[in-house]
Amino acid sequence: MADTSLSPAEARQSAERIKTSWFSALLYRSEALRGYLLMSPTILILTIGIIIPFFILVAMSLWTRDGFGFDTTLTMANYARTWDEPIFGALLQRSFWISGVATVATILVCYPMAYYVAFHVHKNKMMWIILMTLPFWTSYLLRVFAWKVILGYEGVINSGFMSLGLIEAPLEFLLYSQTAVIITLAHAWAAFAILPMYVSLEKIDKSLLEAATDLGDGPVARFLRITLPLSMPGIIAASFLIFIPTTGDYITPALLGGPDGAMIGNFIQLQFGPVNNWPMGATLSIVLMLWISAIALVFLFVTKKAQDKIA
Amino acid sequence: MDVVDQLGAVREGKLSRRAFTKGLLASGVAMATVPMGARQARAAGEQATYFTWGGYDIPELFQAYQEKNGELPNFSVFGASEEALTKMRGGFVVDVAHPCNAGMPRWVSTGLFQPIDTSRIAAFGDVIPSLVDLPGNDAEGGNIWMMPFDWGQTSITYRTDLFELEGEESWDMLWDKRYGGRLGSLASGGDAWWCGAIKAGIDFENLDSEDAFTKIAAVMREQRPLIRVYTDDTTTLEQALSSGEMAAAMTWNSSATLLKSEGIPVKFADPKEGALTWVCGVMIHKDAPNIDRAYDIIESMLSVETGKFMINDYGYGHSNAKSFAEFDAETLAGLGLSTNPDDILSAGHFQRPMTQDWETRMNETFEQIKAGF
Repeated sequence: MADTSLSPAEARQSAERIKTSWFSALLYRSEALRGYLLMSPTILILTIGIIIPFFILVAMSLWTRDGFGFDTTLTMANYARTWDEPIFGALLQRSFWISGVATVATILVCYPMAYYVAFHVHKNKMMWIILMTLPFWTSYLLRVFAWKVILGYEGVINSGFMSLGLIEAPLEFLLYSQTAVIITLAHAWAAFAILPMYVSLEKIDKSLLEAATDLGDGPVARFLRITLPLSMPGIIAASFLIFIPTTGDYITPALLGGPDGAMIGNFIQLQFGPVNNWPMGATLSIVLMLWISAIALVFLFVTKKAQDKIA
Repeated sequence: MDVVDQLGAVREGKLSRRAFTKGLLASGVAMATVPMGARQARAAGEQATYFTWGGYDIPELFQAYQEKNGELPNFSVFGASEEALTKMRGGFVVDVAHPCNAGMPRWVSTGLFQPIDTSRIAAFGDVIPSLVDLPGNDAEGGNIWMMPFDWGQTSITYRTDLFELEGEESWDMLWDKRYGGRLGSLASGGDAWWCGAIKAGIDFENLDSEDAFTKIAAVMREQRPLIRVYTDDTTTLEQALSSGEMAAAMTWNSSATLLKSEGIPVKFADPKEGALTWVCGVMIHKDAPNIDRAYDIIESMLSVETGKFMINDYGYGHSNAKSFAEFDAETLAGLGLSTNPDDILSAGHFQRPMTQDWETRMNETFEQIKAGF
């Protein structure tokens, strides 16, 4: 009679083989599991860095300040305050106005640049893109300070105009004003507008343009009927990329805004700093988030409708 | 997984999807775990951290420290003492921080600080006693909470060539409509609100009253449209004064002294209502990671060399009596100083400790006013 029983070592080996093959079989069968496994580092960071803090923020916004500590009874008092006191509404409105204008300005300035590279540059496109984004390799703070030097009382613009005899006294509205904040934001975020718009312009099938020309469209009509609608996704992406972060921007208005250029981000910072009212700061952050989402949805809806109409 | 072989597979275009995703997973895990290994790489000889107002983060104050420890301490800077306290309450641990007398009792009450052992500081015998003897500064066993370092005034620095005085120097200068848009102010309520109180004629004893709040708020609202910029950054005010963008601004002693040394025609006003006066000092955090070097920082700040720099280059009073030895009475008077700090401190309006509720309410009101409400 042959001995069919396995030695203990062999038994362990085969058990391990079954175990690993069980796991890889599962991995084979379920595409979703493979996906989650691939995403797991990202999901982990997202959970620790965004989702958990978000819930802390929500919880804190329902508390109230109590001296140096918090009164943790849940209440909507902070939200009521943001509604009742005019200062919060006014600051929100100002923030949306400033970043709205900055967004439009950025897109108007950057679209032609993206257009040029997409249609008229045939060699070394990558180098062009890198050259255009080169200024953005310096720190954000440095760029803001650079604008302070340009717009300042004795800055490049003022001293230039003075030496040309165009103005008698320095233009004071240039610095410490909403204008200064808008100009700086429009420049600081240009890279985020150029890249998505370039990508969507680059993707446009050139034969469509030829067809439009063959069918009798002039350059303007061709642009409005083909290029612009087809590059819309890039424009929309760029608008979001600029509008959302600039609304809550803090450092630009803090350095260049002056008393009238303060935005909601500065006020939120104050709540966590000198005013020492963290629950109010949390509430303001959430209110800002809700407003941005609402505006973004409306914007998406309107552009969708407009696109449908063109198509 | 044989990396070289995989690379070969890529070159030949034969890399399987499975191998590729495995590779991706491996690099993802590797990226995520890289920072974990680097934790222990910090040098053993770590320097102490000094948390201070902007402008005090300069090597001149830490010559003695540098000689002893080879390097400068680490600096972290704040613009307003309430901001600094909030940051430390939020878990920011430093070795030494730099509050002023008005904030000190509140800082102590947070329990974030340890008493300073005066026997460990050689120069303590030379420290002017009246600066140590402040309300709330006595800890157990004869120790103190805050070691005084600098004292001075908050007043108006103005361009003598641009600002046309009407009568005496006065706080009205910062409310002068002729210079609307050409006046500057410190942004922190810890300075501006108190100056507003002086302007409104409120005695500091009655600061915590409804009436005082209403009156000071009215004065600050009146001033706001005239202000070009509120800032915690003294350099901004100094640059604006030197270029003529501002004709007058609320500053500390140092701005006027620095501008004068640059040859700019400025004067640090002695307002007829009295300037705002204060004493600032250093406190040690209860969890200070480098306690010995924290004492080195204090020793260095109290040294006579540091004192000379503070008086000569910054125009502040120093807490070490010996620092004044090389200056004659005339020079000191020109800087708005005296060998006897009491002369100066009591001639102006000396800041006093307030309750946390007052501090919060004041900051809240002032921030709303600055935002235009």
